[in-house]
Amino acid sequence: MTFTLLLEQLFNGLQAGVTLFLIAAGLTLILGIMDFVFLAHGSQVMIGAYAASALTLATNNFYLGILLAIPVTFVSGYILELLIIRHLYRRDHMDQVLATFGLILFFNEAIRIGFGPAALFSDFPPSLTGFVFILPEAPYPVYRLLVIAIGILCAIAIHLFVSRTKVGAMVRAGASNPKMAASLGINIQLLFRFIFAAGATFAGLAGMMIGPLTSVEPGMGEPLLILSLVVIIIGGIGSVRGAFIAAILIGLVDTMGRVTLPIILRAFFDGSTADTAGPALASMSVYILMALVLVFRPTGLFPQKGN
Amino acid sequence: MNSHIFQNNHAMWAILFVFSIFPIFSSILDLPFWNDVLMRIMLLGIAAMGLNLILGFGGMVSFGHAAFLGIGAYCAGISQFFGLDNGWLQLAITIFICGSLGLIIGFLALRTTGIYFIMITLAFAQMIYFFFVSLEKFGGDDGLIIDRSDFIIIDLYEPLRLYYLILATLIFTSILLTMIVHSRFGVILRAIKSNESRVEAMGITTLRFKIIAYVISAIVCGIAGCLFASWQEFVSPDIMHWTRSGELMIIIILGGLTYIAGPLVGAVVFLLLEEILPELLHFFAPSIAENWMVIFGPMLVAVVIFGKGGIMGLLSNYFDRGRNV
Repeated sequence: MTFTLLLEQLFNGLQAGVTLFLIAAGLTLILGIMDFVFLAHGSQVMIGAYAASALTLATNNFYLGILLAIPVTFVSGYILELLIIRHLYRRDHMDQVLATFGLILFFNEAIRIGFGPAALFSDFPPSLTGFVFILPEAPYPVYRLLVIAIGILCAIAIHLFVSRTKVGAMVRAGASNPKMAASLGINIQLLFRFIFAAGATFAGLAGMMIGPLTSVEPGMGEPLLILSLVVIIIGGIGSVRGAFIAAILIGLVDTMGRVTLPIILRAFFDGSTADTAGPALASMSVYILMALVLVFRPTGLFPQKGN
Repeated sequence: MNSHIFQNNHAMWAILFVFSIFPIFSSILDLPFWNDVLMRIMLLGIAAMGLNLILGFGGMVSFGHAAFLGIGAYCAGISQFFGLDNGWLQLAITIFICGSLGLIIGFLALRTTGIYFIMITLAFAQMIYFFFVSLEKFGGDDGLIIDRSDFIIIDLYEPLRLYYLILATLIFTSILLTMIVHSRFGVILRAIKSNESRVEAMGITTLRFKIIAYVISAIVCGIAGCLFASWQEFVSPDIMHWTRSGELMIIIILGGLTYIAGPLVGAVVFLLLEEILPELLHFFAPSIAENWMVIFGPMLVAVVIFGKGGIMGLLSNYFDRGRNV
């Protein structure tokens, strides 16, 4: 285990963390402000990835593909809210779970019908294939570095938007007490629709960026959905700041665990046992972290709702 | 205990009756495949009924009950791995392990409420899932191929023995849960669901009731899992994937979560649709027959938007309207 490997994994963890944040940022507001259990948020990630891949193939230009895909994800979120989600805000959580689970099934199958069951070809352009030396002996892929940069830029933008603008103040008011916010004359319906579409856009952006790194396939969003739910719970529902800290934490724990645990286990067990147990225990570590946080702080690290 | 609590349960008795005579039809019509489908329905029905004790009657939305299904299955699988293939003993082990785990997880998870409870139960289920993935000795991700358990007087390799063993378990579970829901314990549990602080104000320690209910539902799910292993003749972590926990919840909500028979009705409808929809699509739209979920998903959304209380809710609305006229 060398220092450069550790540094590289640190950056990978950071990259996973900012990706998770982009997905979790919208979802934490949807959960916190609308009190809506939206399980189909992972489908937004998938829609983003597919839109970017398809548009890249059609225009033969990666950047143009992404630029065109961003409005597609916004519109898909907007339409989904308009057609279905707004009828479900007042239902209890169980109804929301059932309906959004149905939406997951629908989106996965619709994508499978439209694009086929196999993973879609998705790659970044040659201009982004190079390496940057973050230290003299530690080359790191440009593309991943770019993902980290865009993720952090988005995080700063969301933070400034929420803390400095008037609409941001409405969002905060909504997160803290939606009924009170509504009675103060804030158009909650419009606010909800806007947050929903914006959340879908950021989740879609996350999908576009990780598309070339992982595989673009039906159902790609669900593991990310579960992880971002973990992020939201650790951070505290409705807290964008909590989501950011928790996302980086989860990204690092997951990535570092995946690399270090097999090496540590190999000191005690034989190779194949360690190679099976390591990644599984690393996946477990995320949930152990969440359970620990919840046992000691039952409403997450940065609870938002005022009682 | 009054007998009337069993009389207002037509749907449950009707389904149990159909299940008990179904093998006659399947043997006349030579459809042994459907026996298999029905066993799957009954097994998931048992698990869903167990989960519904806390979900529908206790208001505790556990998103991790497939873990207990899986632990039950692994209790059978691992016992057999070490040469212990007595089914009754395996059931006893299952009850003990699911009970103690339910106690520990329940104690920790019930410190939280609402969405946080949903997520912490998911967290524990994921831990257990990845724990079994990491156990290379018992097959890890690939799982264990096992024989059906040996229930001594019942040879599960004889035709229909497993079917009726599962049916007997289902009937036993249905009666037991009906009695629990209508007992003093069940009344307090339902009171906790509707207003926990009032129940506490009456001087009742609600946490104790919630934990006991959680343990009972864990054990019921475990028993279903133990039999599931014999039915599948195979155990793998797949049985407790988080989507299965979701599936159990869907079955309950679809059937109607405030009804004892709800989960059973949900299991019948959900799993039959899973079999029938692809066949139907073969006739009408062969090109998307593989993608039957593209129809099934919107159906679930429609059930939520247009109907409250699931299928049982729709049914009782219909019958009540008839009575009023």
